[in-house]
Amino acid sequence: MGFFDKLLGKSGDVLCAPVAGTAVAIGEVNDPTFSQEILGKGMAIRPKEGKVVAPCDAKVDIMFETGHAVSLVADCGAEILIHVGLDTVNLKGKHYTVHAENGQKVKKGDLLMEFDLDAVAAEGYDTITPVVICNSGDYASVEAVTGKEVALGDPILTLKKK
Amino acid sequence: MQSFTYVIRDPLGLHARPAGLLVKAAAGYASAVTVATPSGKADAKRIMAVMRLAAKQGMELTVTCEGPDEEAACAGLKAFLAENL
Repeated sequence: MGFFDKLLGKSGDVLCAPVAGTAVAIGEVNDPTFSQEILGKGMAIRPKEGKVVAPCDAKVDIMFETGHAVSLVADCGAEILIHVGLDTVNLKGKHYTVHAENGQKVKKGDLLMEFDLDAVAAEGYDTITPVVICNSGDYASVEAVTGKEVALGDPILTLKKK
Repeated sequence: MQSFTYVIRDPLGLHARPAGLLVKAAAGYASAVTVATPSGKADAKRIMAVMRLAAKQGMELTVTCEGPDEEAACAGLKAFLAENL
């Protein structure tokens, strides 16, 4: 980020880690829906604990009944999908506990859902959690933090408007 | 304007993956494409809107295409749904 970008306030919108763990590139997700960016650009986190929080101030758009995914519309306009584990729709809600509902306004860091990380893994599911921007087309760039450990609330994505 | 209906066969309904693939398929056409359930309607080129339909197995979708390639869009999306949903 250059000095002039800062001066002009073009540093972009920042989203923070909704789960704690290892940040990786979206291309490393073993599911083409995510790795090929069919749902949008983003990144993924290999969780080390089963707690999902809001990555920014936002409105819960869809809390999936199964608790394995949530979509949010951020106050900054980003449409964010957090998908906890791959193919976990098949668990039909088992091991997931929902803590927010459709239409609810949330603040950065508010608890959205919890899941039993070990139980989901024990059932043979990859617990990697992609965080994708469904309206990536509205942005000039979606920059991801990858290759490091992130704690809840650490910055993971920077979105720059066109 | 052309439209057709399709009843979802996938037991998991229109979840994230088929929603993403549907949007990708719809984005391949110049025509405006909407997908509707008995309870709502969405721009088929916007992922969040399509997911918001929360369309389930057994639900009837109405796909409407309007534009220069509406015929091809309808045919293409009909084939897509038959194969994926």
